[in-house]
Amino acid sequence: MDLTPSPDQEALLAATVEWCRAAMPLEHARDRPQGLWRELDAMGWLGMTAPSMGLDHATEALVFAELGRHVAPVAMISTAVARRWTTSEDKVALCLISGRVARVFDAEGAQTALAWQEGAAVSLAWKGAAKASPGLDPSASLSRFDPAPETITLDDSRAGLHLQLLTAAFALGCADAATDMAVDYAKLREQFERPIGWFQALKHLCADMAVRCAVARSQLYYAACALDADEPDATFHIAAAKRLADQAALDNGRGNIQVHGGIGMTDEAYPHLCLKRAHLLSFIAPVANTALLGESA
Amino acid sequence: MDIAFSPDDQRFRGECREWLQHNVPKERRPLDAADALPFDKAWQRQLFEAGWAGINWPKAYGGRGLTIVQQVIWLEEYATAHAPWIGANFVGVNHGGPTLIVNASDAQKAFHLPRILRGEGIWCQGFSEPGAGSDLAGIKTRGRIEGDELVVNGTKIWTSFAHVADWQELVIRTGEGSRRHAGLSWVICDMRAPGITVRPIRKMSGQTEFAQVFYDDVRMPLAHVVGGLGNGWKVAMSTLGFERGTGFIADQVKATHEIDALIARARSRGLLRDSAIAGQLAQLRAEVAALRAMTYRNISEVLRTGQPGPEASVIRLFASELGQRLQRVAVVLLDEEVLDFSYGNDDAVAAYLRGFAATIAGGSSQIQRDIIGERLLGLPKSR
Repeated sequence: MDLTPSPDQEALLAATVEWCRAAMPLEHARDRPQGLWRELDAMGWLGMTAPSMGLDHATEALVFAELGRHVAPVAMISTAVARRWTTSEDKVALCLISGRVARVFDAEGAQTALAWQEGAAVSLAWKGAAKASPGLDPSASLSRFDPAPETITLDDSRAGLHLQLLTAAFALGCADAATDMAVDYAKLREQFERPIGWFQALKHLCADMAVRCAVARSQLYYAACALDADEPDATFHIAAAKRLADQAALDNGRGNIQVHGGIGMTDEAYPHLCLKRAHLLSFIAPVANTALLGESA
Repeated sequence: MDIAFSPDDQRFRGECREWLQHNVPKERRPLDAADALPFDKAWQRQLFEAGWAGINWPKAYGGRGLTIVQQVIWLEEYATAHAPWIGANFVGVNHGGPTLIVNASDAQKAFHLPRILRGEGIWCQGFSEPGAGSDLAGIKTRGRIEGDELVVNGTKIWTSFAHVADWQELVIRTGEGSRRHAGLSWVICDMRAPGITVRPIRKMSGQTEFAQVFYDDVRMPLAHVVGGLGNGWKVAMSTLGFERGTGFIADQVKATHEIDALIARARSRGLLRDSAIAGQLAQLRAEVAALRAMTYRNISEVLRTGQPGPEASVIRLFASELGQRLQRVAVVLLDEEVLDFSYGNDDAVAAYLRGFAATIAGGSSQIQRDIIGERLLGLPKSR
């Protein structure tokens, strides 16, 4: 039993952080360079989940939380799942199907997308270039299909769990980013002749953000290990991880804006990027109450 | 990272389960400290004779010297078997004893440690005062040195088991004119010494478990000071390091049983159709799972680095508030039956009322948030 990253995992994490800071900083999240996707592919970030790489879900969860912390393109989630459970080596966009409408995120350069339907991962495809329009999350382009293209369910039932797990990891990263931003600002910004983080009202707000991250992170690690070990209750643990990560991302997104005050409500500052990303992720592989209430009754 | 226990650890789990199955008392532990004393002593004696007393104490001092993973397993099995709280033995086994192991003289250890493990020496804590709660360094109870004795005057409060205890870990001010953390001493106080008055305090749950203690020219030998005169703060803090993040395992296991029982009850009454109740219970079940994951993560940190991570205060804060949320929902599910509660009941309402202690005792939630903000996040200190 060990729920802390091994030295190898720590090293991989450090390399991930270093690369993200240099090539994919959060500050550029809504204005990613054209060539970023090709670079991600070349650097191996997209192929790391392929079965031939032999990477376990625990390590993936660590890395994807770090990618999420930099508000990385959401198609990294769907592409990672596709690389693991299908033969596709192309970009796979992330999709949300609701009723007859399909909302596809990060569709540039993709011809297929993955969505979550009733606990399973499904794939859908379109011809030509998808037309993108602005959506809530400025860091993810939105293409609407009405009606939604036909869907095909992925063969392996674990693909759905994988999609939920990696989305949870992204959401945790989003919550982490909001916490970091809020804490940094609380140390810097002065009012009443002292840093605002001196005041307990703000200190405790930041502490609660850190607690939400710690709770969600612990459950994410446990869930990833449960999936690796093929535990019968892995479905529950991943659902719990997703629920807690979504909440942390949404609540910390709000907290971060509150700590920032006036500047936090503006388009030019970064806090809204975390909040808006949190809203997007909360719709991907969402957790029904029944998934958490389980067999215990 | 993995969540599997080794074959050795699994064998050990079987051993724990087997013993507990045959030895856990059938009768319930009485609620009031005085009524529970014979029960607590007998259970401690039984644990001792089977080698289960002081599971985290070194073998050299009569403990079991379990590895941290084995401690987790024992505590999980202990709670799963519904074994009783160790009650009056809690302070001695979990706090006083460990403090003595780290700081006391050989003579002090030789006298007290075996008595604690056998359930023959009952201990209580003497830290908080009416004027020193969260601000513990505000201690005013004084010890005047006269020859080879200390003469103590003052008062301590919220002292659990004071009226049944034999000994007390008493922190007093011995430095003339000293302030704050300096000039404090940690001394073993004989609770039967002349000049001690214990006034039991009833809690809002009806239990009488803690008390206020008054010291009126109480004489104690200087030889009862532990860790040297004036080192009381350091000695008092040394046990914090002894607690390796295993403190909430029993709560976590109980919480798992509790949330499942609550969901079952809600379902049988058709209350899960109420989406607000279903949402609350679903949320709690996810949080209870996360508490276990957090505990395991903290234990893993101890295994890897020898120290619990700085997130120990995060667990403490989360666990205590989660426990209260569970107790509150349990009471909500009782509906108007909550009004039938009376003192002496040992039910969900009693647990709810007792549970208010969790975010106050041993460092309030507000103090925990200060610690997280300042030590974990590096925000400026406000005090």
